[in-house]
Amino acid sequence: MTEPLAPLKGTLDVLVLKALTWAPMHGFEITAWLEDHAGGELTVDDSALYQALHRMEERGLITADWGVTGNNRRARYYSLTAAGRAHLKAESAKLVRYARTVITVLAARSG
Amino acid sequence: MALEIRTGVRRLFRVVLRRRESLVERLDEELSFHLEARTEQLVARGLTPEAARAEAIRRLGGTVVQARARLLASAERKERRMAWREWFEDLAQDTRYAARGLARRPGLTLVALLTLAVGIGANTAIFSAVNALLLRRLPFREPGRLMDVTLTPPADPAGSGSNAAPWSFAKFRFFRGAQTAFSNLALYSQGKFNLLGREPERLNGEWVSGGYLTTLGVAPALGRDFPAGVDSAGGAPRLALISDALWQRRFDADPAVVGRSADLDGDPFTIIGVLPRGFRGLGGQADVLVPITTRPADELEHEAWSLEFSLIGRLAPGVTPARARAEVNLLGPRVYQDSPMQEGAIGRDARSGWSADARPLDQTRVAPGLRRSLLVLMGAVVFVLLIACVNLANLLLGRAAARRREMAVRLALGVRRGRLVRMLLTESVLLALLGGAAGLLVAGWATRILSAANPLETLQAQGLSGLGVVQFSSIRLDGPALAFTALVALLVGLLFGLIPALGATRPGLTDSLKDDGAATGRGFRLGVSRHLLVVAEVALAIVLLAGAGLMIRSLDRLLSVDPGFDAQHLLTLRMTVAPGDVTRDSLAGFYDRLLERLEAVPGVTAAGLADCPPLAGGCNGTIITFPDRPPVAATESPSIGVHVVTPGWFAALHVPLKRGRLLGGTERVGQPRALVISEAAAERYWHGEDPIGKRAAVWQGGFDKGATVVGIVGDVRFGTIDSVPAPEAYMAYAQSPRSYMTVFLRTRGEPRAIVAPVRTAVHELAPETPIYDIQTMEQRVGTASAQARFSAVLLGLFAAVALALAALGIYGVMAFAVGQRTREIGIRMALGAEPSSVLGLVVREGVVLAALGLVIGLAGALALTRVLRSALYQVAPGDPVTYLVIVAVLGLTAFVASWIPARRASLVDPVEALRRP
Repeated sequence: MTEPLAPLKGTLDVLVLKALTWAPMHGFEITAWLEDHAGGELTVDDSALYQALHRMEERGLITADWGVTGNNRRARYYSLTAAGRAHLKAESAKLVRYARTVITVLAARSG
Repeated sequence: MALEIRTGVRRLFRVVLRRRESLVERLDEELSFHLEARTEQLVARGLTPEAARAEAIRRLGGTVVQARARLLASAERKERRMAWREWFEDLAQDTRYAARGLARRPGLTLVALLTLAVGIGANTAIFSAVNALLLRRLPFREPGRLMDVTLTPPADPAGSGSNAAPWSFAKFRFFRGAQTAFSNLALYSQGKFNLLGREPERLNGEWVSGGYLTTLGVAPALGRDFPAGVDSAGGAPRLALISDALWQRRFDADPAVVGRSADLDGDPFTIIGVLPRGFRGLGGQADVLVPITTRPADELEHEAWSLEFSLIGRLAPGVTPARARAEVNLLGPRVYQDSPMQEGAIGRDARSGWSADARPLDQTRVAPGLRRSLLVLMGAVVFVLLIACVNLANLLLGRAAARRREMAVRLALGVRRGRLVRMLLTESVLLALLGGAAGLLVAGWATRILSAANPLETLQAQGLSGLGVVQFSSIRLDGPALAFTALVALLVGLLFGLIPALGATRPGLTDSLKDDGAATGRGFRLGVSRHLLVVAEVALAIVLLAGAGLMIRSLDRLLSVDPGFDAQHLLTLRMTVAPGDVTRDSLAGFYDRLLERLEAVPGVTAAGLADCPPLAGGCNGTIITFPDRPPVAATESPSIGVHVVTPGWFAALHVPLKRGRLLGGTERVGQPRALVISEAAAERYWHGEDPIGKRAAVWQGGFDKGATVVGIVGDVRFGTIDSVPAPEAYMAYAQSPRSYMTVFLRTRGEPRAIVAPVRTAVHELAPETPIYDIQTMEQRVGTASAQARFSAVLLGLFAAVALALAALGIYGVMAFAVGQRTREIGIRMALGAEPSSVLGLVVREGVVLAALGLVIGLAGALALTRVLRSALYQVAPGDPVTYLVIVAVLGLTAFVASWIPARRASLVDPVEALRRP
């Protein structure tokens, strides 16, 4: 088994925002969701995740409020704001374009 | 999630979004939750609990502590920014809400704004004056190190007169040599100079000693200062420094002016420098500075009793003002006892009792009387503003009652009370700030008037002159005044807004929610607050009324003072004979010819000359001794005013001869010297004996060897109008000629009508002699009481505003009460109460409130008006007449203000009132 990847610089925000399009989640749920949906190929540094969450909350991309988990524990739930949604749309489009370009370049064969 | 209130509703009622949690708590809870969840996950994947926890911590980025610190720092930054943003958002929201509220009630807003504009504007204007005249730093280097040094005459038995006397040059020289406390000392006195040339001009100037500029720490902008050694002897080279203004005006700002010659009073002076812009000497008016030592040496060395100059000193390094004062006190008597030039002049006893004193120059900036007037006015405007605040609080209380239901709903929805109070205070502060802005317009207008008033001579005439450099013209709306206005507006807004805000948001929800808000005025305790406000308002108004009443009574007394002459139909003008026109020796003959010409002017019935006009704040004086008596006791200050007059002067002014004869044509050079004295002089120095024929020596103008008293005339007030007439001596112009004279012309009709022919008459005889200060005697009398009038008018104005506001306040409260109690009144009347008894009921309530305020106010007034004591002329601060009048005025006002709403109450239709909810 190859070592899971850490998200490339600048992509964590987009991934987190994407996760939150599914539902408001608390921090751990977000890592779990990301790891799940990456098929185990991705591991998120927890410290980086919380910094990203706080940073985005500050920028108004997400908001946070206390909620209760399934097994009745208090947790901070993050949810997308309209600005967050717009940011996600723009950034993911850019990222997808970039990834395609990289693949195209790398797949190029001579002749 | 907990209770969710829709954002719109939340905003409308200002429900708080959430309790602001501790940041640390929140973060710790979030992280520990995360650690637990992660550990659980890892255990589920098969790790041991210990290993799982370690892995969870590792993933959080090393130790939890570090991670927490990083997160906390960023969270705090965010929180601070959020808090500020929230605060500003709240403020913006509150301001919008407040603005809408104010706009909805334009009438109330307008009344409030006008009240505030007047209240705050008056405060700013008076503060500007206080700042310029009392507070602002003197424009010299380290002004705190400058001291004013004066001689102190022996205690005056009459208790009048100043306790500070100026210096003579000889005494200054002695003092300077003996002292060690000052690094620099300088002498100066104000003088007038005729600048001759293409357009003769009369200049204000100063006679100064050599160290004048270095003592003040001022350097010439061009050229140089007087050379060292200029003080060493009389007859120094004629040098002059000129002001920047004169340089611009007369010399076209030509740098080559240094070294040029200017003709001052007929002598050529070399201009050696130009003073920095704005510097006009300590007198604040000088266009030219001239060394004292350019005067004849014998005058400076021998006239040790010609006390003329002010002395300032800069403290030597390390010397405290107190130490300098101690040294000056010690040296003072020696200035008299040991100064060698005193030998043989007068008996030692006559000199004892004199000393010297020093005080910080800053304390001399304005006369104590003016300082007191300013502070009294400041106090008065503060009172006006307080009354305005009370009135506004009253107005807002009325609104608070109306809004109580709205506030109760907000409280019920969970809005914190503090938040609501803040919202309501925003409204009052906004109102106050707008009022303050409008007040600046009022203040700008008032300060322009104040700074345009140039009361220098007026103040002099009232003995109120201070340091000339501190001038009314420096009164302006500057930074400190703007800051003061903003601060006052803010405070005022909080002050008048707080009680209504607290009242409107008082918990007690269910009552207010159930209450329909109109029927039971007493249901909530707003009524009590309002009643207290009325009491306070009346009390404040009483204090102002008392102050104004006393000042007006005092002014009335002052205006009825007999100055000792008849001021009607009397024209006065001053002239200084140019040396080019008449030589000193032929002055007497010149004055004879001049009088002849003046008496021939049509409309003139009598003419006279004197060296000093009455009511000008004081004339030249000296000491009097009696050759045929033993030297007088030290405590008996032998001072006397000296007047040089022509024989016709007494008749021209209608100064009555009491005994003996007036000066006649026989008192000429070479003839025996004669003196006419005032009744006060006869009283003080002859104690009921007959002075006629007795000998007295007046130490001035060649009368120091003695002269015979030939007559006694009525007292004339030469000093201030409120001062007791001083002993005066009159000598004949021919025996002691002066080159400066005031001309007095008694006219048949309007005095001003003869100005032109008089000017012509003088100029035909003496073409180079300038005429100035042309005034009717009535104008001079008016000037002499100008400050009293100024204070009385301003205080009266403030008191009138206060009374009007108080009347409005009483009316407002009573009208409100009547409105609230319409139902009750209706029931009373339905049960058979007469309209008159309802009228009495309401009026009684208003009058009781006013009476309560009256009693408190009277106590306050009696305590506070004591500060007016020395500003009052022949009126005691507790003057019963004044108090009776103000009680009557206020009582009547209170009655009328409550009668109007009471009458409305008595006209209530019981059926209509009962039908109301």
